[in-house]
Amino acid sequence: MPDSFHPSEVTIEVLRYDPADAGGPRTQSWSVPYTPDMSVLQALQYVKDHLDGSLTFRWSCRMAICGSCGVMVNGVPHLGCRTFVRDFLPGPVRVEALAHFPIERDLVVDAEDFIEKLREIHPWIQPKVARLIEEGPYRQTPEELARYESFSHCINCMLCYAACPQYGLDPKFLGPGLTALAHRYNSDSRDGAKDERMELLHSEEGVWSCTAVGYCSEVCPKQVDPANAVNQNKTASALDWFARFLPGRS
Amino acid sequence: MAMRHTYVRSMDGWWRRDPYFLRYMAREATSVFVVTYAMILLAGVIRLSHGEAEFAAWLDGLASPWSVAFHVLLLAVFAYHTWSWFRILPKTMPPVTLGGKRLGAGAITGLGIAAAAIASVGLFALVVALA
Amino acid sequence: MPELIETDIAIVGGGGAGLRAAIAAAELDPKLRIAIISKVYPMRSHTVAAEGGSAAVTLAEDSLENHFHDTVAGGDWLCDQDAVQYFVEHCYEEMVRLEHWGCPWSRLPDGRVNVRAFGGMKMERTWFAADMTGFHMLHTLFQTSMKYAAIRRFDEHFVCDLLVDEGRVKGVLAIEVASGEFRVIKARAVVIATGGAGRVFRQNTNGGIVTGDGMALAYRRGVPLRDMEFMQYHPTCMPGSGLLFTEACRGEGGVLVNKDGYRYLQDYGLGPPDPWPRKKAMELGPRDRLSQAFWHEQRKGRTIPMPGGDAVHLDLRHLGRAKLHERLPQICELAEQFLGIDPAQAPIPVRPAAHYTMGGIPTDVRTATSLPGLYAAGECASSGIHGANRLGSNSLAELCVFGRVAGEEAARFASSVQGGNGVALRWQAQDTAREALRALERPAGGERLAAVRDEMAKAMERGCGIYRTAAEMEETCRTLSELKARANAVSLTDRARGWNTEWLAALELGFQLDVAEAMAHSALARRESRGAHQRLDEGCGERDDANFLKHTLAWRVHAGSPRIGWAPVVITTSQPGTRAYGAAGEAAQNERKADAAHA
Repeated sequence: MPDSFHPSEVTIEVLRYDPADAGGPRTQSWSVPYTPDMSVLQALQYVKDHLDGSLTFRWSCRMAICGSCGVMVNGVPHLGCRTFVRDFLPGPVRVEALAHFPIERDLVVDAEDFIEKLREIHPWIQPKVARLIEEGPYRQTPEELARYESFSHCINCMLCYAACPQYGLDPKFLGPGLTALAHRYNSDSRDGAKDERMELLHSEEGVWSCTAVGYCSEVCPKQVDPANAVNQNKTASALDWFARFLPGRS
Repeated sequence: MAMRHTYVRSMDGWWRRDPYFLRYMAREATSVFVVTYAMILLAGVIRLSHGEAEFAAWLDGLASPWSVAFHVLLLAVFAYHTWSWFRILPKTMPPVTLGGKRLGAGAITGLGIAAAAIASVGLFALVVALA
Repeated sequence: MPELIETDIAIVGGGGAGLRAAIAAAELDPKLRIAIISKVYPMRSHTVAAEGGSAAVTLAEDSLENHFHDTVAGGDWLCDQDAVQYFVEHCYEEMVRLEHWGCPWSRLPDGRVNVRAFGGMKMERTWFAADMTGFHMLHTLFQTSMKYAAIRRFDEHFVCDLLVDEGRVKGVLAIEVASGEFRVIKARAVVIATGGAGRVFRQNTNGGIVTGDGMALAYRRGVPLRDMEFMQYHPTCMPGSGLLFTEACRGEGGVLVNKDGYRYLQDYGLGPPDPWPRKKAMELGPRDRLSQAFWHEQRKGRTIPMPGGDAVHLDLRHLGRAKLHERLPQICELAEQFLGIDPAQAPIPVRPAAHYTMGGIPTDVRTATSLPGLYAAGECASSGIHGANRLGSNSLAELCVFGRVAGEEAARFASSVQGGNGVALRWQAQDTAREALRALERPAGGERLAAVRDEMAKAMERGCGIYRTAAEMEETCRTLSELKARANAVSLTDRARGWNTEWLAALELGFQLDVAEAMAHSALARRESRGAHQRLDEGCGERDDANFLKHTLAWRVHAGSPRIGWAPVVITTSQPGTRAYGAAGEAAQNERKADAAHA
């Protein structure tokens, strides 16, 4: 396909950081051979393989399912493997570690906060009704599955956290992706632990830190729509709060 | 675990970094104008409670060139406020089904803006008819 | 001196098998200290990329005998039938357990779990979660594992050696990636669940982490690697990147056509083309046969040249947009995002790429290896169920069936022995650590890592491709030997200790070269064609049960080429027969039924 603009090379600019370097982060650029089907990840791999082996970044599957390769490309969170250099021509393409996370080295961020919070939402089924393995699977209709399925598509890439300014301003916020995951379990017909999870969602660090910016859902590579999960739960949280005044509720 | 010398980037000026954030801040800023207009209307109600003369004086004040200009600005801001409000509305709602199919975000926004437009035109017609 | 950490069970690898093992051990004995040690966060493990589904006998019309026969025939009779029997008996229970843990299996309108047809399988028995089954299974297992206080994770810890003392494995040596510091993780039992080694090939479906680490770890400690010559080429992958288009595309009715729009598989014993879809025929034949058919079409000049390599077309248009988006959403996304193709409107170019390592660390039915205290499960193991060719959807089921066994066996073993001597282990660790640091300390100016790695991948593609010749295999063996020396002279740009992924890649390259050598030498030794190992040489073009109905074993030889030996195949009820698919398959099946009726 003949392009009106098809360069042979493109400039990749990376915000580098070496923890041993007292000077803090600095920008470094390289010229990389360009092909129209090249992803940002492939450009980074070219630099690491041929130009500077110290360039450090996470990656694995190359097909937007493992969630490893999240980076900022020209200031917007993206998965490096599925973001194509052709969309940023003529360049330079500026690559930086995911926003709102501390940088460990180059494009690697400290993800421990996310990992700890992942456990805090109790992301496992606590069955509403006990069932033995011998009794076979629970019944779950396609309609019941549809109520939570899209929220189960989260690949834990953390792009939504890089998009969320509230998380950037206050890292105690549970955040979009994990609220979506909590919502996934709350909406699963087999689960009975909603009240337990609502404790966390109700709190100041839960849904009430969200101001409906909505950027999280824009950048999500899997159309999980975390903004929806969080904001639906504001209504749920409010209703729950009022319901405590009803007789028969503790 | 070894001490990690991680680098934390500043959030200063975060809202200037992306057009999406600028639009968000503009949306939030419209609430200031909404409150201001509410104050103006509240002032009018208070003046009304003090008698017709005071109320008439308040109405005259509204007709001044500066006030008219301000109200034109308010109209523009309210239009953006309404539009951005209905844009974010779908995010706050659980799934809505209409005729077996899930109502998309675009449809919800569209319906909301249409309702707001119809209500505004209707109210305007009412005011004109009564004037 | 490396830091010492005390555990009872160390599980190396945090994918489906490793997580299932950890959960099983924690359920058997919650007082045990169980460690999951993974070089990536568990949700990044390559289980996540599996798409199509997980097999389990479910329908009333199906039987364990069917699943058993399909698997043994699919493996070209190189399967250990006792392992296959255990496997087919336990798949259903494991899939139900996953469902109870929240796995979002796709459903029938009445709420029962749905099953679909898959390659080489007589009956629909593949459980699926849209076309992201591996993703959903992995996240279900990972999230469920967080329930157990007994499980402690060492995320982003790179295991570089097993620690063996008095003939028993007593721990592992790991590098904490963030700091580059070594840690000795003592354990009374070790489970290896590190996955396959597809990255030794140039075009592959695998993620960057699939570098055969666990296989090499065991290999370096005297454990042989079994059946390494059998590498599965998945027939429908993206040209260039090798990214996977699931077999489920064909399970749902997709077809493969050459440049003339002809469904060429009918020329290779898989026809007739209609009626379609039809199980165990045409595009639902086994993967080795489909990849081999592609190779022949390419030789005949009937494939379509593309920038990433020659391809054929996977046509899904007749499925219709609605079904495509319901059953194959990820495929649609892949085709649109990476190739700019809408599968509802245009066919997808596909070609075979290296996908699954049938071989690995030999285990018995209880997942025990030849090294006391060491267990293995998942793709890194040669459990005996896949033989010479794996059937699609048997691998995800294997993770759970044998993952559970490994966890329980490791728990039982750990409870029956004392822990190792911490001081002795730390001294042993010092030696390995020094070895591992050598790569980091080599002077500048040597060869780049990528050059050696890329040559290995090219050599393996040439010598251990879909069809092999003695000359090309020998050439690859020579090249690998040379590359091992070159790898030991590679200099790194990155001199830091903390987050040095270039250093870890150099360690991975060492693992890969060991595994590649085992593959190439085993391939050379097997002078027959069986399953995924097909030779064009004189006298090697057919299956030779008289001489080669046996497993290869590759032992590491210090500073030399692997020594190849043999081990018997466990045959119980299924005597080697003809692998017949398509019309021939139906005829053979009817014959079998008639024989059984007369018996």
